[in-house]
Amino acid sequence: MNVVEIENVTKTFGRFTAVNALSLAVPKGSIYGFIGPNGSGKTTTLRMIMRIYHPDPGPGRIRVLGETKQTAADDRVGYLPEERGLYKKMKVRDILRFYAELKGCRDFKDRVNSWLERMGLSEWADKKVEALSKGMAQKVQFISAVIADPELVILDEPFTGLDPVNADVLRDAVLELRKNGSTVIFSTHDMAVAERMCDLIFMIYKGEKVLDGTLESIQDRYGTDTLRVKVEGNGFDARTIPGVEKVTDFGKLQELRISPQTDTQDVLAELMKCGRVTHFELTTPSLHDIFVRIARPEPQDVVPGAARETAHA
Amino acid sequence: MRKMIVVAVREYQAAVKSKAFLMTLVAMPILWGGSIVVQMAMRNKVDTKDKRIAVVDYTDHLYDAVAAAAQVRNEKDIFEGEGADRKQVKPRFLVERVDPRGDDAAKARLALSERVRKADSKEIMAFVVIGADVIRPGPDPANASIDYHSNSPTYDDIQHWIAGPLNERVQQLRLQAANLDAGIVAAATKRVPVANLGLVSRDEAGNITEAEKTNELANIFVPMGLMMLMLMVVMVGASPLVQSVLEEKTLRIAEVLLGSVPPFQLMMGKLVGMVGVSLTIVTVYLVGAFYAIHQAGFGSFFPAHIVWWFVIFQSLAVLMYGSLFIAVGAAVSDMKEAQSLVTPVMLIAVSPMFVWINVVKEPSSSFALAMSLIPPATPMLMTIRQAVPPGIPTWQPLLGILLVLLTTVACVFAAGRIFRVGILMQGKGAKVGEMMRWVLRG
Repeated sequence: MNVVEIENVTKTFGRFTAVNALSLAVPKGSIYGFIGPNGSGKTTTLRMIMRIYHPDPGPGRIRVLGETKQTAADDRVGYLPEERGLYKKMKVRDILRFYAELKGCRDFKDRVNSWLERMGLSEWADKKVEALSKGMAQKVQFISAVIADPELVILDEPFTGLDPVNADVLRDAVLELRKNGSTVIFSTHDMAVAERMCDLIFMIYKGEKVLDGTLESIQDRYGTDTLRVKVEGNGFDARTIPGVEKVTDFGKLQELRISPQTDTQDVLAELMKCGRVTHFELTTPSLHDIFVRIARPEPQDVVPGAARETAHA
Repeated sequence: MRKMIVVAVREYQAAVKSKAFLMTLVAMPILWGGSIVVQMAMRNKVDTKDKRIAVVDYTDHLYDAVAAAAQVRNEKDIFEGEGADRKQVKPRFLVERVDPRGDDAAKARLALSERVRKADSKEIMAFVVIGADVIRPGPDPANASIDYHSNSPTYDDIQHWIAGPLNERVQQLRLQAANLDAGIVAAATKRVPVANLGLVSRDEAGNITEAEKTNELANIFVPMGLMMLMLMVVMVGASPLVQSVLEEKTLRIAEVLLGSVPPFQLMMGKLVGMVGVSLTIVTVYLVGAFYAIHQAGFGSFFPAHIVWWFVIFQSLAVLMYGSLFIAVGAAVSDMKEAQSLVTPVMLIAVSPMFVWINVVKEPSSSFALAMSLIPPATPMLMTIRQAVPPGIPTWQPLLGILLVLLTTVACVFAAGRIFRVGILMQGKGAKVGEMMRWVLRG
């Protein structure tokens, strides 16, 4: 069963098309990751799922938790907007209580306390929001989105601004939400997070869907065209090797993209001429690489299903 | 409904718990009361340096009277207090006689003007020229006037003072010339005061009670106080809504709120919260005023009979203006933009101030009735009319409430539509035309 179903939905602001003929389905109990460059339509789509924005009139439709109603107010949905979203002058405990009550939650006292403890915020419960660091405010906001045990949680860039420790705390909380039966949709710029956490990944670029599926299915579309190599010795240029289309230098490690007909043995032989090969791995492209191929296409990049031009004002 | 109350409670607490609210609550009476106290204290803080006045008397009969009056004034009138507390609160007027003969009149005035222009404390500050025909006006009116010359046109104390002794003396001389006794004439021309009384009524025992002397001052101050209180409540209670909505908008709190509460309920919650805030203010001030008036012994002037009307009207005013402020907050993107839209709303709110004095003087006139039935002005003007004895027929405030209620519903409805669209707009503010479109199309 799908918690969110979007079919052929378009949203324009004036002459600018933010989202164009978009369709997607979020299965119940999944973690669904939105990726895409800034301004590509992620937040607009999330807001449409929230029903804060309504799509342009037309054949498209949005069904959330089995309903197609027009108002945003829904106690079964929790939402964390991109950054901010908290009253600065309110105390942490009061604002959580307020959001819990707004969602029709009655036993909020214990919930607030247990969430604060879990997020390591107990000491800050009676401080005003304006006294919190960015990371702490982000955690408070997360609690406010999930305090009422929503069936569907929509998080707009929840990991932005968190240090690794807090990011782990938040990740665990999200995973536990899924374990308890909630469906989570979140957007992120952190490809590693998306790779590790999401059951399904959805990429939107210039208002259009370019990727949608499991990480494996997405990577399969690109095939095993990537070599990760470590070569000792200096001054070697992998770009001179026949069949290598692109080199991404990570310093200690180089990622080579090879053309489909190239024999990896030939590449290895060429590399061995340059120096001592300590690492040689044939692999699928990382999500990061796929993202960059779509969002910053180079002449040799062939992006399946993404070779479109959108009216982008 | 429950969510609306949750919003209202938060809004109320956010407003009442803020330091700014307490400051306003305390500062307002201090500012108003303080300005009166300061004015009283400053009343006598005038320059007490001697002021010299030259008098050119072409009649030759009037200077002595001025000199004598100045002496009396300098010895008695310019002091306040008794014994050790006695202190000078006004400047002495020192008059000097200038001989009118010799130079021609124009030259004499020029010479005196030059002396005034020197602006020297030892020199004269002004001079008075008394025409030759002042006592018995002749064919030339120029000779029958008294001219006061000075270089300080806003300082009129000397001019006002000198008119007294001069006219008194002129009258005396004219009566003498006509062989009339000054005492008899004074008695004959004495003005009779007209007392301002209420109406006579019959008490329970059937006796006719005497009419009470009305206190004109109280009858003006009570309505004025109520009007100011209502205006203040609208300013303090409703205008923070602009900021509150703007905060929710810019901090994306609105998106979270709208995910829980339908927009209309959210707006109503904010309005109800603000009505609560305004009632708090009113309670504090009315109880304070009641206590103060009783302590001062003017208990009977406290308008207890219209307190409920006042509460109803001010709640409606907060709803009516509050919804407009909410619409403004939702339509703009920053405080600076908000100012330009808040100003017209404020102007409408203070508009009753332009006609209130006419309404107080004749609360039953058709002008007052018409004015008080224009909804934006109704809360204040209707209250004023009710506060002036004997009050007005009950159907009038009831009709007023009905009209204000209809207007409030229209405002809330329109504001709700602007709010719904505007609260999610980011980046730029809406133009008035755009807002009208939102209202009409929904």
